[in-house]
Parts: sequence; C-alpha cells; structure tokens
Amino acid sequence: MAETIQVKFYGLLRRRAGRASVEIAAEGLTVLDLLRRAEEAAGGRFLDELLDPGQGLLAGTIILVNGDNVRLKEGLATRVGAGDRVDLFSPAGGG
Amino acid sequence: MNGWMGKIVKLDLGTGARETVEVGDALRRRYLGGRGLGVRLYCDLFPRPVDPFADENALIFMTGPLTGTLMTSGRYQIVSRSPLTGTICDSSSGGAFGAAFKAAGLDGLIVTGRAPAPVYLAVRDGAIEIRDAAGLWGLDTQRTQKAIQADLGAKASVASIGPAGENRVLFAAVMNDKDRAAGRGGMGAIMGAKNLKAIAAAGSAPVAIADPAGYKDLSSRLDRMVDKNPVTGKSLQVLGTSVLVNIINAHGMFPTENFRRGVFNDAEGTSGEKIAESILQRQSACYKCPIGCGRTTKTKDRSGEGPEYETVWAFGAHLGVSDLTAITEANYACNELGLDTITMGSTIGCGMELCEVGAWDGGLRWGDAGKLRDLVTETAYKRGIGADLALGSKRLAAKHGRPELAMQVKGLEIPAYDPRGAQGMALSFATSNRGGCHMRAYLIAPEILGHPVFLDRFTTAGKAELVALFQDVSAVVDSSVLCRFLQFAVGISTFAEMLRTVTGLDFGDEELMTTGRRIYTLERLFNNRAGFGRGDDSLPPRFSTEEFQTGSSRHRRVRLDGMLDEYYSVRGWDGEGRPLPRTLAELGL
Repeated sequence: MAETIQVKFYGLLRRRAGRASVEIAAEGLTVLDLLRRAEEAAGGRFLDELLDPGQGLLAGTIILVNGDNVRLKEGLATRVGAGDRVDLFSPAGGG
Repeated sequence: MNGWMGKIVKLDLGTGARETVEVGDALRRRYLGGRGLGVRLYCDLFPRPVDPFADENALIFMTGPLTGTLMTSGRYQIVSRSPLTGTICDSSSGGAFGAAFKAAGLDGLIVTGRAPAPVYLAVRDGAIEIRDAAGLWGLDTQRTQKAIQADLGAKASVASIGPAGENRVLFAAVMNDKDRAAGRGGMGAIMGAKNLKAIAAAGSAPVAIADPAGYKDLSSRLDRMVDKNPVTGKSLQVLGTSVLVNIINAHGMFPTENFRRGVFNDAEGTSGEKIAESILQRQSACYKCPIGCGRTTKTKDRSGEGPEYETVWAFGAHLGVSDLTAITEANYACNELGLDTITMGSTIGCGMELCEVGAWDGGLRWGDAGKLRDLVTETAYKRGIGADLALGSKRLAAKHGRPELAMQVKGLEIPAYDPRGAQGMALSFATSNRGGCHMRAYLIAPEILGHPVFLDRFTTAGKAELVALFQDVSAVVDSSVLCRFLQFAVGISTFAEMLRTVTGLDFGDEELMTTGRRIYTLERLFNNRAGFGRGDDSLPPRFSTEEFQTGSSRHRRVRLDGMLDEYYSVRGWDGEGRPLPRTLAELGL
C-alpha cells in the first residue's frame, strides 16, 4: 500500500472512529488535513479527542509519523505522504 | 490530633512484647507518614544495615496523614531493607487495607523478631492480638484472606503472604484485599522469615479532620478535577493501564525478549484495547477511588484481577509471548502464590536468554506460553528450575556466568520501558533508591505522554533536575499516602491543600518539596551505608552498547554519565553519590 498513508487509531480514539485504521490515498498533505480526511473515511467522529476548538493539538494527545512525534516536527503542519504511517493516540496514562 | 491517629506500636514477635513509639509532632511534620516516616523510623532503628532475614530486622507497616480521608487514600506502605536488593525499600499497595488499618487506631506498626510458630496479627480498635496461624501456613493468599475473614468477620481487611513468602522467595509480595499487591522488593519474604502469615485490620476510629467545611469543598473540587482530566476521568477507567502497550510499542521502546528489541509484533493482541474487548469483566477500584484502573477479568477456566500494564509486558513481550490467556493466568498465579509479577516475568526472560546463549540448561525458550503458570508455581515452592528463578535475575545471571544479561538496577528488575527510548527515564531507573523501578520518578509522563509538558525523549539537557523534582514529589505522595495516579490530575499545590485541610498544619508547596528531598536523601544515606555508590547508579551494559535496528528508538543508546554528574550536583551529593555535609545540614539530617 505504498500509494496510501496508513492511519491507525488507538485507545479511546479507536472507539470513536469505529475502526482500528484507515488508508488515505494522497500525494502529500499536512497532518491536520490528513486528520480531517481520516475522520471522513472512518465514519466515526473523533477529531474533538485530538484538537481543541481553535484547531490546536490538545495536551496529552500523541501523533506519530513513522514513530516520530509531530510535536518535535511542524506539529499539525507536518507534511505526510504516500507510504507514511501515522499513529493517533488520545490522552492516556498508566504506570 | 488531626490527620494522624498519633499511635505507632512496636511489636516483638519473638516475645510478644509491645511498646508505643513516641514520634512527636516535629518528626511527623518533617516526614509525614507512609514511606517517609517509615524510612525515618527504620533508619533510626538500624543505623547500620542488618540482614533482611535476621530476627532483629524490622518490617514497618505505615499509613499516612491522608489515609482514610480524601480520594485514593486506602493505600499503605511497607518499609524495610529489601532481601532482593539490599537497599532501603518501601513497597506500596492499594485496596482498602491502609484505611482499615488506620480505622483500627494506628498510624503504623513496627514488627520485629520472629514468632516461634506461624502467627497472624489481628489489629482491632487499637489492640493487637497475636493469633495462631498454623492452619493457614501453606495456603495461598486468597484462601488465607477468606479463612481470616471467617474468623474475624468480613469487614476485616487482610494483607497476607502466600507460599512464596513462606519460602522466602526474594521477590515475594504481600497481597491484600484479594488481589492488591505490595509487589516490589520482597517484603513478603521478610514476613515469611518472621513466621508472620498475615495482618488483619478492622475498626471504626474516625480520622479527625481539621477543617470539615474545607474538606467537603475540596472533596467536590477533587471529584471535578479527576473527572475532567482525560487520563483519570476516561482513559484509565475504560482501558486500564494496559492502554500503554500500543503507545510504548509505537515509540519503539516496548522491551521485547529481554530488551533485545523495542518493537513487539504481537503487541496489539495484548493491549488494553484487546483486554477491554475480550477478557474484561468489569473495572475495579480501590477505597474511595473514582478512577478505577483495576481490571477484573475472566479466562475460559479462571477469573481474577489483572493483568495491568507491567504484567502484560513481563509475561508477554518480554518473553515473546502473545497469548493473552497465558499472560493473565500467570498473573493470577502470582496473585495467589504471592509473587511480584515484574521480577517474576523479567527473571524468566533473563533465563530464556541464558538458555538461548547456552549459559544455562534450564530448558526455557522464547514464546513458551504453555509453561508460564508452572514456572510461577515452581518458583513459589523453589522446585526444579524454580529454585533458580527464585533468585531473581541478578543472582540467576551471575550464577550462570553472564551477569550482564540481567535487566536490573541494584538487583531490582527494570519494568516495561526500554531506557534507550527515553533518556530521563534512564536516569530515573539508574538513580532510584530501590533499584530498577518506574515509580520513583515517572519520566514517561513528560517524555512520552506529554504530561504535564511534552519533552523530547532523546535529549539529556535538563533531565537531571526534572528527575530529582519528580522523585521528590513522588516521595511526598507516597508519604501522605495517596495513589500516584492522582498526579495525572493534580499537582503539588493540591497535595499541600489536602494536607492542610486534613491536618490543620500550614503545609506549603516549598516545604513539601523540601520534605520530598529530605526523604529521598535519607534513603540515599541508608543505601550509602549499605555499600551502594556511584557504580550502582548504572544500567546494564546492553543499554549503552547495543542499538535497536528497527522502530523509532533505533540507533539510540543511553547517555548516562553526563546526566549523572548533573544529577549529583542538583542533589547536593558528591561525585560518588554521597550527600554533602551542607546538603545534610540544609535538610536537617
């Protein structure tokens, strides 16, 4: 599936999305745009678990692009493309 | 007196003699209770470390000023010198035992000596009765608790050992309220050495509250804060602690096959998400806990409590096992026999690698899920290869000539976070006063979970200061005594307010941070006297010499030395990790 971006949902996000993953066909786009496309594709609404009303990333959420946290890249403006894997986690803890 | 009951008793099991220990207001204020006051009392009794199994050694059961009051206050602490590590050790457990113990009229109980025959203690309404436990010796923890409740009534809360403790397995746990564990460090083995099968507590003594109106208001606000927080109000409730399986695995730092890889391909099948849709019967909660992270579960043949995150890992990825039923039933076996799941699983993993490299003919191999329950049982009774596994990983690996294959710090097995994936957590493991433990300073919170702020997990700058800060806050919470998960929702100011409201004393943030530092430094002084120094603030060589080739923590190594120097400097310790005279003077030690 090298032509698509694989988006995986974890934790409570998976329940909201209604599925564990979606494949998004795209040349290249920002993480924010990818999230919107992923919500459409998943069917279940989940963006409010990740984004605040001002479209900023909520504290405690984790978005990994190929294992790297977007907070250490360009945040929601980080660009992703075909072949990438994006992991989405709502706030969680344990120990 | 508000908050504390004002009574700590010292009991000699050998003679039956008991005396009230006068603590005084100043000491209570400076060490609170639980871990802090327990360590202070222990160090006063033993300026020179003694053999943990010696008759004279003390095992101290402690509650704190907040025990039995506001939310998450059912916990208690057991303090002694660990037979597994030789360090000072406090082992903490949830449930309701702490609250029941305090309702029986005591803040703490110092147990010394060795009973001539098996006994248990009934602590009721301020009185301590030594009762015959000959008929209980040999029973598992569940049957023991039921038998004692049949004697004393169902309201009695019971903390007991199982066969593992009786047999002095070095990592035997104390189990209370069915399946809650004071797991780490082998406190159960010390009970076994003292012929002490259990302690049961019951009573109705109220904890006096200094500010009842403020207490009511604070209770409501705490409810709201915990409910509003996405971790305590949602994630931990629905998915338990095993929600971390997929998170840590996605960061390439989920220790797999004795920390040789950081990605477990079958993680999903052992995740919190999977548990919730398969074996979970219901969530369970400790005394006055609105979170309820516990998992009551059921397999085809059995039912019980767990597994939580560390256990999922210890019997799962760490051993190359993806069979959730086998993991869960190994957990049940540990609960019944009274064993620490982390050290048990980690030691089996060490054994698997020893067998693979040909250093041991123990017959262990990666992924052998069908053997787990038997291995746990053999360990509890020290039968067959269980006699070797009962040593814990450090002694096991040394015995077979490959000490570097034990994934431990100061003899305590490192839990489910590969330190190559988080430099701050690496320093936290290395400097933990009780060895490889994640609970002294949970740097996973900022480095992975973004709480309370998000930090780059691969950098070392500033991590030393943060580790010391986290260690100090944790010491305060462990001494109050409250559940550490409350820290996801509230900070030091709220803990100070809780202490003020209950005790009426004007605790402030700064004083409490100093208290935490005092406790941590006192523990360090004990460890120094027991022979621990800079060389012991280290990690197995694997973490600084071997790199993962896959996953997002690939090509990383732990860079400890620089952080360690900085840490000692922040702490006011010398280059060998010994507190400087001026530090001791500042802390009144």
